[in-house]
Amino acid sequence: MIRFILQRILWTAVVLLILSLITFGLMHAVPGGPFSREKALPQQTIDILNQKYHLDDPLWKQYLNYLYDVLIPRINDKPATSLIDSYLINIKLWDKTYFRWMNFGPSYHSRSRTVNDIIREQLPVSFQLGVLAIVMALIIGMPLGVIAALKQNTVWDYLGMSMAIFGVSVPVIAMGPILVWIFGVALKWLPPSGWGAKPPYLLFFIPRDLSWAFWKHAIMPVVALGLVNSAIIARLTRASLLQVIREDYIRTARAKGLTERVVVSRHALRNALIPVVTVLGPMFAAIVTGTFVAETIFGIPGLGRYFISSITNRDYPVIMGTTLLYGMLLLLANLVVDISYAWLDPRIRYD
Amino acid sequence: MVKKISVILSIVLLASMLLTACGPTETQAPVAPEVQTVVIGGTPQVVYVTVPPPDVPEPVAEAKILRQNLGYSDVPTLDPSLSTDTSSIQIVEEITVGLVRLNELTMAVEPGMAQSWDISADGLVYTMKLAEGIPWVRWNGTEVVPVQDCEGNTRNVTAHDFVYGIQRTCKAETASDYAYVLAFALAGCGDVNNGVITDVNTIGAVALDEYTLQLTFLTPAAYNLNIAGMWVSRAQPSWIIEGDDCTEARGDRWSEPGFNQSFGPYALKEWIHDSSLTIVKNPFWPGMATVPVPQIEEIVFTFLADSAAMAEYEAGNLDTVGVPLADMDRVKSDPVLSAEFYQGFNGCTYYYGINTSKPPMDNVHLRRAFSLAVDRQALIDNVTKGGQLPAQWFCRPGMTACPTPENNPDVGIKSDPVKAQEELALALADMGLTSADQIPEIVLMYNTSEGHKAIAEAIQQMWVDTLGIKVSVVNQEWAVFLDTIRGVDTPHIYRLGWCLDYPDANNWLREVFAVNGSANPDNDGDGIPDGGVSWKNDTYEQLVVDAAVEMDPAKRLEMYIQAENILVWEDCAMIPLYWYTRNTLTKPYVVRTYSLTGHEVYEKWDLTK
Repeated sequence: MIRFILQRILWTAVVLLILSLITFGLMHAVPGGPFSREKALPQQTIDILNQKYHLDDPLWKQYLNYLYDVLIPRINDKPATSLIDSYLINIKLWDKTYFRWMNFGPSYHSRSRTVNDIIREQLPVSFQLGVLAIVMALIIGMPLGVIAALKQNTVWDYLGMSMAIFGVSVPVIAMGPILVWIFGVALKWLPPSGWGAKPPYLLFFIPRDLSWAFWKHAIMPVVALGLVNSAIIARLTRASLLQVIREDYIRTARAKGLTERVVVSRHALRNALIPVVTVLGPMFAAIVTGTFVAETIFGIPGLGRYFISSITNRDYPVIMGTTLLYGMLLLLANLVVDISYAWLDPRIRYD
Repeated sequence: MVKKISVILSIVLLASMLLTACGPTETQAPVAPEVQTVVIGGTPQVVYVTVPPPDVPEPVAEAKILRQNLGYSDVPTLDPSLSTDTSSIQIVEEITVGLVRLNELTMAVEPGMAQSWDISADGLVYTMKLAEGIPWVRWNGTEVVPVQDCEGNTRNVTAHDFVYGIQRTCKAETASDYAYVLAFALAGCGDVNNGVITDVNTIGAVALDEYTLQLTFLTPAAYNLNIAGMWVSRAQPSWIIEGDDCTEARGDRWSEPGFNQSFGPYALKEWIHDSSLTIVKNPFWPGMATVPVPQIEEIVFTFLADSAAMAEYEAGNLDTVGVPLADMDRVKSDPVLSAEFYQGFNGCTYYYGINTSKPPMDNVHLRRAFSLAVDRQALIDNVTKGGQLPAQWFCRPGMTACPTPENNPDVGIKSDPVKAQEELALALADMGLTSADQIPEIVLMYNTSEGHKAIAEAIQQMWVDTLGIKVSVVNQEWAVFLDTIRGVDTPHIYRLGWCLDYPDANNWLREVFAVNGSANPDNDGDGIPDGGVSWKNDTYEQLVVDAAVEMDPAKRLEMYIQAENILVWEDCAMIPLYWYTRNTLTKPYVVRTYSLTGHEVYEKWDLTK
């Protein structure tokens, strides 16, 4: 098992390297640059900007420099005041000597911030929203799927699945503004936009204050995102459970005289979970790194909008940073999924 | 004994009065002062003491907090040297004050940090007397405090700070986007900016003493003061940027929350990136006739999309909001909202550029036909719907030396389908064609957006109806589009807009359409434009150069009228479509001004809640 995990982590590194190369190549291949403005800048100003950010170097050199800045740790003695010299890990060893690692570069658009600043401040918000939405999706989706499967072709099944179809077919972009209008504008029960937690966070992610001030902002976006994803989970759980419940070993379990409850929870559900867990991995990575639509509608200061705005702004370091972060989370989530297979189905072994 | 008690009693009373007066959120009901006799050291003295009446609950007035939306995305930076966009400039203008300011209602130049100035006989050297004793301030986590130097003295804003700020903008390593504005106007800035000279002291900005600043310009231009007032010429705190004996250097991060230092009517209190930015009244701002002490304690800016901001406004959580196009009809018909609605000036022009070098658009009659055939009023009434004004020329009326439709109704070009067909006939004759459908397909390009698409399609239809010319509409993603319309592949007709940097016709006619202007680039440097409108007219070039230094306003206006006529009629290098308006909702308890300059002057606002 250990060997399997180590092997996968090694592969993760290789995949990330390929991902970085493709992203780097694509973003430079697209026409338009970070300094294209509606009010054209004089060529001289563009030259100065390109020089400052080393965009006048050959592309291969820019790429190698990027990898060098991100991967190679260094020990130096100057205080890092320049945004070009900003490191995610910056530990003071002793007087005037610092251990520094992972410089993802400055933002060309937010000229006083770096990619590290953006990820440090915006990712926790997306993470809080994402985790709550996933929890909500599971709490609603799983029981809905189980009930629908066990009571197949009854009114419960139809009710559950109509809810699921409603959830899938009414996306956040439609449900969001409706929720905002009803609960924010008309009834005034909840604030129409914003997020109730602000830095610093406990353990980088957990809001310090989990009172109503936090929840009143969280309810609507969590419900909107959670419902859509609960629908996906409900449909998968139902389909998977329907298949498992016809297996021989379920008949055997029933023949042994086990109660229906035990048959379902211990034998059927556990096996039926494999497809659900499979989608949970990528779903988790996608939601936790921020969802553009939900963040825009509810005015949430998450990372989601940077995935889009960095590309429209041609903010190269932010494009690279957000893409690599998403890639890494996706690979890690899939690794966790693979490991959990072994627990869900003892027949699966990785040795 | 009696003496002692009376002294103690009085001290307690005085102390309680002082304490309550210091309470930040409580204001007291006005009560009559009570006369008390205090005996200190045997001599009775009369002191006025206000004693709150007992058992009457005091009304607790809320601190005046204004809630505003500042557009969908976070403020990119608060560094004056690096600011380029309206939201950065809005905050910079509230937390710092320029050498001069534009009056937000008249757009006239008014004293700012420079209280008075002398201009040399040749119009090049400006000697400015700065306001004295205005401290740099910062938010220390609980309140606004003055910044102190290493000896513990308050740091006041001096001419040296302005010199440092200007030098920092000009320096190449700062890589300021707007350095070129100073480079074109201020002596020495250009050479420092392009690295020919490294000594920043050669720049024409010199501190003669603590409060006397001398600026030397390259030309005796009418707009020199405007440029001195721009954010790129702002004072900056060298000690926090470069560091000194008692301050850690913060470099390009100096303007971020926690480090930010400023000196305007407001100071930066809190900035949660992408969520909100709060500025708070600076108690150390002494107030000037042109920049008064603010009435509103605190302003909270949020960063919401248009529709989310509209929802917040209707829920009562924002005090003003820009009206999204989708809500325009509803706002106008709603009895409450329509009373809170205001339609006013916005210093921008929406236009279509024409690539005058690309056949068949190299024919001036054809270009005129296209411009005449656009029914601008119909476009505004049916598509844009924001009460915009049909544009007859490029420069937004309201700018200095710009014509206005009231005084100059016949300048430029007006929609006229009959004349359009006449021009089309002339064009066909020139080209040796017999009918309009022999004209090769014309391409109209815009950057991808629902709004631009609707406008392009409406105009496409007008051209088909009036001229019978087939036009295909193409869209490109913003950055790709910007590349396209500045290169040799600029399509026949393309969309663009322009908003003022400073309110002078020079910022429009010269900086946009003169050779190497924003919409007329000369990429290979041979003096002949090869992108955008790709247009050169020697009379026009001379006019805009001469008009810049013409001191007689009437002559200056005449010159710009002549230039406009060349641009939109004689050579017809662009099609002016409409002059922007702003559509705003404001809650009735907000006392406000509607600024013409592109940023609000909150120190003149108040709340009467």
